[in-house]
Amino acid sequence: MTSVKEYKCPGCGAVLDFDPVSQKWKCYFCYSEYGKNQFDMDEQEELSDTDMPELDSYTCSSCGAELIADSTTSATFCLYCKSPAIIKNRFAGRFKPKSVIPFQLTKEQAKIIYKKWMNRRILAPDEFKQKEEIEKVTGIYAPFWLFDCKVEGSISGDAKQTTTWRSGDYNYIKTRYFHFARNGHASYNRIPVDASKKLDDKFMHMIEPFDYTAMTDFSMKYMSGFMAEKYDVEASEAEVVLKQRAEEYLEGRLRGTVDGYSTYTVNNKLFSLSDIASSYSMLPIYLMINKFKGKDHVFIVNGQTGKVVGDTPLSLLKQITFFLGVFIIAMIIGFLGGALFV
Amino acid sequence: MFRKASIMVLVLIIASLIGGIGVHAASTNNVKDFLDYLSKSEVTQLQTVIENIKDTHQLDAVIVITDNTSGKSSMNFADDYYDNNGYGVGSDYSGLLMLVNMQNREVWISTTGRAINIFTDSRISKMVDHVTSPLSDGDFSSACSIFLSDIIKYAEAGVPSGQYSRDSGSNTVMSYKDKVYLMMNSYPPYIFAFIVALIATLIVSYSSKGRVTIDNRTYEENGSFALNGKRDDFLRENTTRIRVQSNSSSTHRGSSGRRHGGGGGRF
Repeated sequence: MTSVKEYKCPGCGAVLDFDPVSQKWKCYFCYSEYGKNQFDMDEQEELSDTDMPELDSYTCSSCGAELIADSTTSATFCLYCKSPAIIKNRFAGRFKPKSVIPFQLTKEQAKIIYKKWMNRRILAPDEFKQKEEIEKVTGIYAPFWLFDCKVEGSISGDAKQTTTWRSGDYNYIKTRYFHFARNGHASYNRIPVDASKKLDDKFMHMIEPFDYTAMTDFSMKYMSGFMAEKYDVEASEAEVVLKQRAEEYLEGRLRGTVDGYSTYTVNNKLFSLSDIASSYSMLPIYLMINKFKGKDHVFIVNGQTGKVVGDTPLSLLKQITFFLGVFIIAMIIGFLGGALFV
Repeated sequence: MFRKASIMVLVLIIASLIGGIGVHAASTNNVKDFLDYLSKSEVTQLQTVIENIKDTHQLDAVIVITDNTSGKSSMNFADDYYDNNGYGVGSDYSGLLMLVNMQNREVWISTTGRAINIFTDSRISKMVDHVTSPLSDGDFSSACSIFLSDIIKYAEAGVPSGQYSRDSGSNTVMSYKDKVYLMMNSYPPYIFAFIVALIATLIVSYSSKGRVTIDNRTYEENGSFALNGKRDDFLRENTTRIRVQSNSSSTHRGSSGRRHGGGGGRF
């Protein structure tokens, strides 16, 4: 039993890559296409439910060279022969994902989406926008914890209703003071929490949402032709992030029911989570690195929806120009509009 | 011959000047004290201050002390006296006139042109308050000095922001163009524009990195949100009232048709 898996074309024996456009596996040698169950039928046997030991080194099953991979990299490419290589024991046991959303965008599509998006960043420097080449584009299956949970909670606080009117030479302000309280509950499904320390939590949160209707049971076959990472944030650590998010959502919903006041402040809140269930999932992202003035700027494109987020550089000159432009327009509106009320 | 004639003319001129001063000992062009309450030196000193105000602030200032208003009200007498004696600076005859009417023991300050905008009703009423007590004490010199120093104070402060005119007895309101001009001379539009521009720049800069597009409901199971309890308890209420700070200048028309503002009081 080999520890590195690669999928071979039943027709010619070359390697198979997953193709996001057709959602099938393609052999770029003989141009054959295969559905999920048309090759390597014995896969289920190989996906072990028990932990497999880490090995000191892994070798490419095509050319025999040693694979260069980080300790969390679970799918990669051989540096020498470029064959996709999937390190099986990093998908085994507790690292066996339950589900996956297969890539729906190709690398080329992702690049085009990124460029269009970048062209709309009005404050980004032109030199950066006009850069033809992106330094590095990598399709990665990123590890996520998907949490289901129930939240029960309450908020309470003070509220004011103000009415003003004018009578004679006086303005009257009537303030009515209230105390309000709300309590309620809600259930949440599949809240994703980044399970990789390598990937920026903030950006991983911003590329949400993923469309869960395309989610399917995990199979290593989808990893072929992409990079993959295994989780290095335990579910219990990720739960802290989940708790915060779920509480925020319910608080938002409860706040939405506080109406009829001019202003209100929440002074007390209490939430409790129950029925927390986590499942390990691989979600598709394109990680792009673009250098500008010696600094790496990281961008992430959602490999399913094409949503882009990233560390866009800003041009100070453009910021100042933009500020002055808005200032002048607002000033003119101020003059013309203000004159209507004096 | 010619030389003699010119000397003669010069002598005549000087004589007539001396004579003129002699006749109206307590009056100069801008200080008309028909009751001789002010000394010669006080009048000269006031006139010097007025010349200064004219130069620095392009506002005329006139002081009239009389006990005969030919049957006119203080307001009408003050307006007409100002209009009929050629006072005022610039095309809009900007300036102020303080009438001390001893007949009714009344003081009236009349404003014209630009002075209408600077000297709002509330400022005029303060100025009137300032001069009433020296006037009732018979200290006319102090009253006049206070009047002039108030003019300088408010002229330096300029047109208060949000100043507007309320025309009484006439339909002429400030034109839209005038209002726009007024806005350009006040702070709020600039502050407004600065805040808007700052916020817009921050938002666009910040959103250049992408935005969070999920909300409270993205991961909520459909129909799972339920409000179990809802309480709204009324605690108390209070009502406060604030006097409206008016920056208006009420105006009216003098018999000459010119617009005047102003106000007065008794002492």
